[in-house]
Parts: sequence; C-alpha cells; structure tokens
Amino acid sequence: MSHRVVVTGLGAVTPLGEDFPSSWRALIAGRDADAPLTLFDTAGCRCHRAASAALPPLPGLSAKAASRLARASRLAIPAAREALAGAGLLDSAGKSTLRNLTFSVSTTAGGMAFGEDFIRRVLARDRTHLFSRVSRYLPHQQVLDLQQALGFEGHSVILANACASGANAIGHAADLISTGAAEIVLTGGFEALTELVFVGFDCLQATTAERCRPFDLNRSGLLLGEAAAFLVLESDTHAQRRGAQPLCALTGYGHTTDFFHLTQPQPDGAVLVDVMRRATTQAGINPEQIGYINAHGTATPVNDGTEATAYSTFLNGALGITRISSTKAAIGHTLGAAGAVEALFAIETLRTGHLPPQLNLHTPIPEIAPALVAPGEPLREAQHVMSVNLGFGGSNAALVFSRNRAS
Amino acid sequence: MKTDLVVIGRGAVSPAGVGLDALLRREPVPVLVPAPGDPLRPRPVLRVDLKDPAFTRWEREPRLRRASPMSLFLIEAAEQALAGIGPADRAATGLIVAFSAGCVGYSRRFFETIVTQGQKMASPALFPETVFNSPVSHVASVLGLNGAAYSLVGDESAWIAALKTAYVWLRLERVKQVLVLGAEEFDPVILDAYRSAHWLRHQPCANRFLASEGAAGILVRLRGGYHSPGLGPTISRACDGLIYRSRKEAAAAADRLCRESDPELPAYPTAGRNWLGPLEKRFAENRPAVRDETRPYLGEAFTASAAWHTLRALAALNPKQPRLLLPVWGLNHQLGWLELEN
Repeated sequence: MSHRVVVTGLGAVTPLGEDFPSSWRALIAGRDADAPLTLFDTAGCRCHRAASAALPPLPGLSAKAASRLARASRLAIPAAREALAGAGLLDSAGKSTLRNLTFSVSTTAGGMAFGEDFIRRVLARDRTHLFSRVSRYLPHQQVLDLQQALGFEGHSVILANACASGANAIGHAADLISTGAAEIVLTGGFEALTELVFVGFDCLQATTAERCRPFDLNRSGLLLGEAAAFLVLESDTHAQRRGAQPLCALTGYGHTTDFFHLTQPQPDGAVLVDVMRRATTQAGINPEQIGYINAHGTATPVNDGTEATAYSTFLNGALGITRISSTKAAIGHTLGAAGAVEALFAIETLRTGHLPPQLNLHTPIPEIAPALVAPGEPLREAQHVMSVNLGFGGSNAALVFSRNRAS
Repeated sequence: MKTDLVVIGRGAVSPAGVGLDALLRREPVPVLVPAPGDPLRPRPVLRVDLKDPAFTRWEREPRLRRASPMSLFLIEAAEQALAGIGPADRAATGLIVAFSAGCVGYSRRFFETIVTQGQKMASPALFPETVFNSPVSHVASVLGLNGAAYSLVGDESAWIAALKTAYVWLRLERVKQVLVLGAEEFDPVILDAYRSAHWLRHQPCANRFLASEGAAGILVRLRGGYHSPGLGPTISRACDGLIYRSRKEAAAAADRLCRESDPELPAYPTAGRNWLGPLEKRFAENRPAVRDETRPYLGEAFTASAAWHTLRALAALNPKQPRLLLPVWGLNHQLGWLELEN
C-alpha cells in the first residue's frame, strides 16, 4: 500500500527573493527582509515593521487581470509555476502539462485584504464593488486563481491549521500519494500580509518593535512576513516512469493537537516531542540521524522556550550534532506559508550542505545553545533533515526529508 | 475515489433544532435580520437558538467561554456523533472540520473595531477566535480527541475533501475512527455578501433563498479495516474537482457531473433554492426518483448544508432504496458527489 514519496519540484516567492534560488542565496548570505511596513497604515499599532515580498511579474496576464487578483494569488502563482517548471511539468505557454493535478495547499487568511475592503464599504454604506471584494477573499478563490493561471483542475484540499498549515498540506499530499489516492500532487502554502492579521498579532503583543531574535534569551516577539512556496510530490514509480529526477524523498510526517491553550503550547514541549517522534518513526530513523532542524522559532517568549525544551528532550545526546535554526528572523513569520517555505529551506540544506544561520542571536537559550547554527557553518554529512511547525489552536507538525536512495 | 466509510455516529445542529430528529422533520421558522449595508430592509434568515440548553450546558467549559457560536454548534454536533464512544476510543479519534467562512461573526467584529475605533482598540480576546482552526481546537480539547485534527476550507465541496481525508487517515491506520464535521455561523454582514451576489433576489416565499447556520457531522470507520464495525450505512465513493468560475462553466461542470456519476442511482436533491437549483433539476431529469418524503428547507449554510444533506440522505437509505447519489453543489468553487449505500 505504501508508496515512496519523492520531491521533484520546488518554487517560492519570499521577502528575500522573487524565486527560490534568489531567496536561498540571500538566506545563506545572512540577509533579512525586516523593513518598515508600507502595505497599509499601522499608525495605531505598537509595531510598524514586517517582511514584505516584492510581487514578481505575471507573464501572460494583463495589468488589469493582475490587479483583480488577491495579493495572495500574486505571490502564489509564480511560486507554483516555478515548482511545476522545476518538475518538468510546464509547457511552453506556462501551463501545467497535467490537466488533472491534485492540489493540497495551505493558508490562514486567503485573500483577506478583499474581505477587509468589503467590510469597510459595508460600514460606509458604499454598495459599489461589493461582489468583486467578497467573492475574492475566500481561500478557494485563490485556488481557482492558481488552477486557472496554471491550467489544471482536479481534487483540491485547503488546510487552515493556523501556522502549522503549510507542513500539514505537504504531509497530507504525501499521505495521498502513499495510500495511492494520488500519484502526483502540487502542494504548498501562501500568505499575504493583511491589516486584520497584522493588527491581531500586534494587539496580542506577539510582534516585536525590535529585531526578531529566535532562541535568544532577550527575544521579544515575532516579525510578520508573507510568502508562497510550493513543491511537486510524486510516487517514486511515477517519477521514474516519466524520467523525473527526485530532489529528495519525504519520509516522515507527524502531526497532532496540543490541548494546553488556544495560543500557547504545553510548556514542557511533550506534545511537540511526540510529533517529532511520530515523524522519525515513520521515516525509520533515530533523532541523531537528523542533520538539521528548521525550527518554528517565532521569537515569542513562550514559543521558543517550549520549543527549546522539546528539542533538548527529543535530541537528547544528539543535541549539538543536529543543527537547529529558525529562518523567521530573515523572512518573518509567514503563517499559512511558513511550513511550506521552511520545508523548502530544509530540503535545500540537505541538497547543498549549506546551513541557514541563526540570525540576530546574541544570548542563546542555554538548553539548545550548542545546536544553533553559526554563520557560514556547513552541514555535516547527513541523510535527513526535519522541518517543524506549531500553530494557534495547538496544531503541531513535523516533516522529515531524506536523500533519495537512488541519488 | 473509493472511500468505504461506514457511518457509526451522527450529530446535527440546525435552525430546525438540536439532533437528528429535528433535522429530518422540523420546519424552522425564519426571523428578520437587517443587513449592515442595507438596514432598512430586513431579510428572513434561519438561526439556531443559542438559548437551547444543548448550548448553554457548554458555558461552564473554560475553553468555550469566549468561543464563537460556531464552536458551540460544532461541539454539540460532535458530542452527539460520539455518543457511546469512551475516553480511550476518543483519544484514538481523528477530527476534520470543513468550513467556508469560518468564525465570520468575530472576524467582522474584530475588523469593525479597527475601522470604527482604530487599531489601538483591537481586542486581543477576539483575535484568536477569528482563526479558522480555533473551533477545531476547542472541540478536540473539550472532547478529548487527541488524534490528528485538520481544519479544511472551501465551499460545500470541502465536505467531500474532509471525507476523502478521513479515508486516507483510516487507510494509514493513523486513527481508529474519524469525526467529520461541517459548520457555519450567521452574521448579518453575510446578507450584504449574498445581496451583492444577487442570491437574495426577491422570489415567492416558498422558493426564497435563506441564509442559515449550524453544524453536522458523522463518525466514520473504514469498511473492512482493522477496526471495522461490520456492515452499516456507508459512503462508498467521494468525487470532486469539477471546478468552475462562471455560470457557464458551472453548467459545463454539471454536465460532467451527469456524465461521470452512476446514471442508475437516484440523486438526492440538495441544491434546492440556491442558484444551482435549475442545474440540479436538469441533472435529475433522467434519473430514477428518490423515495423520500420532502424534508423541510433548512436554508443555505455551505459545509453545514452539505453535512445536513448527507445525514438526510443516509436516513433515506432503506431496503427498497439501498443506494443513493448525493450531488454536492458547491456554490462558488466546484461540484462533486458522494455515493451512499446501506
């Protein structure tokens, strides 16, 4: 029943670059995208900075048609197109060569900026353009945008498990393939910065007015960001049949729910440890075989403390051998896209041997201080990497990627 | 896609009342609600009575004190579907909830405060409850469901995605059983949305589209699986992916639904009074008629409607009508269908 799942295409638009290679180069160079937020007014907020992405051009689409798209779609379409191109699934017109393509995707806010504009107009009793706003804010409209822009249809599933959604969408795609429910899946996540969400995190005092410092004792909060990232997953037999070269294999997926609190993880990290163990058990490996963990590392006091405790418990004797960093200091917390972008960073670490450095680290949390990645540090010889995410509501997810056996 | 999900528990909350019996038999009474953008013209809508003891009994739960109405609908429907399932089995139960608009009431209130009073007045108590995943977290926590949990989003077709996901989890033996729910809540701002889509155009009372709210769910196991309960009403197939962007494309999708589904199966009517009703009428023309008394109209509540229709169609299965087709007319993304059998 269980089919081996391989990754054959990657694509991303992040605050560090308009495609995945440029984003990766900037990340490894230690750059960050922390900047004043100009997408909307933040005068009444505590914080005024975020990691915004530059919108890539959309070839084949008129300026008018592009202006009708949600910002989330503007981020997602080029990222998904890049992933399909990398997998050799894009024709000369920029459309998918597979008309029927299963799609597993994540977001938390969809096209919320349109929803915000709808509410503004309703409150102002302005009846103009209401339909064009309300009809485009729901996440399945961005799915339709992607399906239309890239020319595919078929089963789609939209996961909204808060900040773990991206990892869940990828894990679900792998589940579909391993059970034979699909042979190939386009999967990933997208998120655009919106006022409702920005103000939400700001009023919770979860964001910081200082630098975002994951796993630092003096961390004071997160930096919000936006991004889209996609992968093509397929069964190894499907990849072989069409002559596609796997980049790596997805060998483990763990997910569960932490009941402790709606917005806070269980302090001892036991639930997160359980999730990571589920993922490594499915992959058939021990924790010490993991070369690198791309941590959730939001830089909020509560999250990072719990996560550090969990890694310390999970890795035990391997702490310091397995390297850890959070890339949120560079690209911000991209919410529904986080699990997908960070999975791509973990995969590229495995492929290139370059480790994303832990930026803005001055006084590391003692429990995991020996494990945090220093700038320029290379990955030791490793066969496996992991990406970990936690979300509102207690969603926890971990993915294990492994070198492909044949590569 | 073959699913073979045996239904072992059912629960429902609707404007007709709490429980399966109300869902099948009781006629809900509309109330008039003004839309914020058109306050002088109240519209009839179907609401769930939150004063019902079925909901007030949950007020003592710390997790539910600030929870949205939708969380209360969900937890009540979930508790009904889990009747007879003990704590150990609940811990091995997966949870999947399909939404369309999510916690629209709290989202509207949160953003309205930002617009009318300024960003400084935004409520940190409200914001977490606006997240799609919050009601799922509440249900899992209060009912002790610590298997996997997913929040899925879409139109009515998200219900199909939820059922397919349940099948995958059961095939992987990740959980013993899965609780699959659909839920929506009403907020007056929805009327402005529906009005802008021309869904509230004046029609004779008997045919009027009514906004609605509620939740429903089923507890499923895999037929022939390790934890198989034996025979029972089963969702044997779930198919989706007939996407559309316009009324013309929707008509083409309906034609495909007609071609690709089993023509021998009676099709349980579900589109009723929404804009896809005429397509459904055409779709059902050449099929065997359903043997089922006419059920009261419950209004339109996206994924909750899809779940209500599934429960009603399951109730319509009998020895003379052992198999049914349940078309799922997604209102703004895609069409699909389920095959049900006794």
